[in-house]
Amino acid sequence: MSLDVLAAGILAGGLYALIGLGISLVFGVLGLMNLAHGELVIGGAYLASLLVVEAGWDPLAALPLAMATMALIAYPLQRYLLTPLLRDSRSAPLVATFGLALLGQALFQAAFGTHPKALPASYADTGLSVLGVRVQTVYVIAFGLAVVLCAATHLVLTRTRAGSAVRAASADPGTAAVLGIDVNRVYAMTFAGAAALAAAGGVLTGVAQSFTPSSGLPLLLTGFAVMALAGIGSVGGVLAAGVALGVLQSVSVGLFGGGWRDVVVYLAFFLVLAIRPQGLFRKAHAA
Amino acid sequence: MTPTPTLRRWWPALALLLATLVCFALGGVLDHGALDLGVTLLCYLAIAQAWNVLAGFGGLVSLGAAAFVATGGYAAALLLVHTGLSWPLAVVAAPVAAMLLALLLSAALLRLRGDYFAIGTLAIAIALQALIRNWDWAGGASGVTLPVDSVPSGGNLFQLAVIVAALAVALTLHARHSDFGLRLAAIRDNEPAAAGLGVAVRRHQLAVLLPSSAITGLAGAVIAFQFVVISPDGVAGVAWSLNAVLMAVVGGTGTVLGPLLGVTVVYYGLTRQLQNEQTLSLVIEGVLLILIVRFAPQGVWPMLCRAARRLLGRRSPSDRPTADRGDEEETAPSGTEPLAVDLA
Repeated sequence: MSLDVLAAGILAGGLYALIGLGISLVFGVLGLMNLAHGELVIGGAYLASLLVVEAGWDPLAALPLAMATMALIAYPLQRYLLTPLLRDSRSAPLVATFGLALLGQALFQAAFGTHPKALPASYADTGLSVLGVRVQTVYVIAFGLAVVLCAATHLVLTRTRAGSAVRAASADPGTAAVLGIDVNRVYAMTFAGAAALAAAGGVLTGVAQSFTPSSGLPLLLTGFAVMALAGIGSVGGVLAAGVALGVLQSVSVGLFGGGWRDVVVYLAFFLVLAIRPQGLFRKAHAA
Repeated sequence: MTPTPTLRRWWPALALLLATLVCFALGGVLDHGALDLGVTLLCYLAIAQAWNVLAGFGGLVSLGAAAFVATGGYAAALLLVHTGLSWPLAVVAAPVAAMLLALLLSAALLRLRGDYFAIGTLAIAIALQALIRNWDWAGGASGVTLPVDSVPSGGNLFQLAVIVAALAVALTLHARHSDFGLRLAAIRDNEPAAAGLGVAVRRHQLAVLLPSSAITGLAGAVIAFQFVVISPDGVAGVAWSLNAVLMAVVGGTGTVLGPLLGVTVVYYGLTRQLQNEQTLSLVIEGVLLILIVRFAPQGVWPMLCRAARRLLGRRSPSDRPTADRGDEEETAPSGTEPLAVDLA
């Protein structure tokens, strides 16, 4: 086991954290298990590909636009489709997001075809050396961005009025509504925010590896694994869990070979879920 | 006209027996194409119905049906290939293997509640698929080819599928009409309250998880025989989990006939008609799912029942007391009733 492998795992963990953050946010605040999160991530990658592949932009320049567009698409979905369902039965929102996932895959297929795509960038395949450890540039960028976005999410939730509203709506929607908080709007904003985070993860995923319309599912599971490891409601935990998952993947590839990566990761995910449903890194119950 | 209570209680079982016998006889009559379609429909029915018992009656919403399809399919196939066992014995191994897997996982799975159970089962299905892909004895990623001569085909395979589907429907009928089913519904609707009244929650959930897994595994064996070549992507693919949910939800979970309708609509009406239009098929399935949970959250079948009743408008008050349990309409675990407290 070399330091290179370990560093690659840690850095890849940043990307996993970014994907898990949106899932965790939506589940923590809305209690909604969003099976379409993988499609939000891949949707971000495809949106960016319009600017990167067609117009020659740099992926990092396309990133804010992809985030904003994804948020705009997500807001009405939550407001007019998913929120009304949250009051119905237990499985309705879950099934609806599954329907959205199928729909998303179909739209990607229709618009972009089934051939693998990637977002070309000067830093996609280059490496750099930090203290004698070789790492891939794109993962360094992804890790940096993940730290920034996690910190930003944490600050928004804890330091702003909007964040207080989100935490209030998460803790007790009924009381929050009585106090004059528009819970429906808060829910939609939260979902839109999660979609924007997903899109950011998607753009960087698209630079690091190629993607197809059906790439969403493994990403969704990675996100779930991060959420299960982190426990609901801990933004810092999400980052730690992403890194833990990344290291676990790297180590299992190093020990057993590439094919066993997914077996180890999903089994670990299941075990963590079963042994500690509240997560490994959970601290206080704040959204 | 009003049947006696005993008859009301037994006519679903009689109807099932009759339908099974008729279908069984059809196995000798139908042509090759019809038999093939029939096997596919019956397998989907068994899997959707097994999911329905687990989720619609037991409240355990699973996204892992593929794990049990794969376990059953691979158990039967590998025994056939590696030990030269005859197919009837290999078929018996399928539900046993699936039940063993369920038993092994139950300690962990039944600790999970609600959505956590859903993602836990999803993780299991994906982990198993990844495991098979790396398992050389099971053929790895390219899968194994069954010896065509020792596998039932045509009418025999169809008759096997009829039996599997009939078992699934029988299980659903049992869940719907027995005291066991009533206690299960109590757990589904309010677990703490049911536990408080002395219902053994874990034991009841296990008693629904095991037969549901066994039937899914049995269907897996039939699918393996039908496919002849089985691979991690085919038999262990996540599509099985998703189709089970889709078909049961479209038809109506927690009902006996809902999944039958769902399987017919989704597979025969959509997948088959649109098999050359993959994208369009995906779009329609996605939109259908969204529309149904939005506007008919209990599924199409209960909606049709209500509409039919309104149209006929013949429900004399004297029918009420005995009628409610014999009827197909769901006992409404949620929704529709104005009990739900508004969030905002």
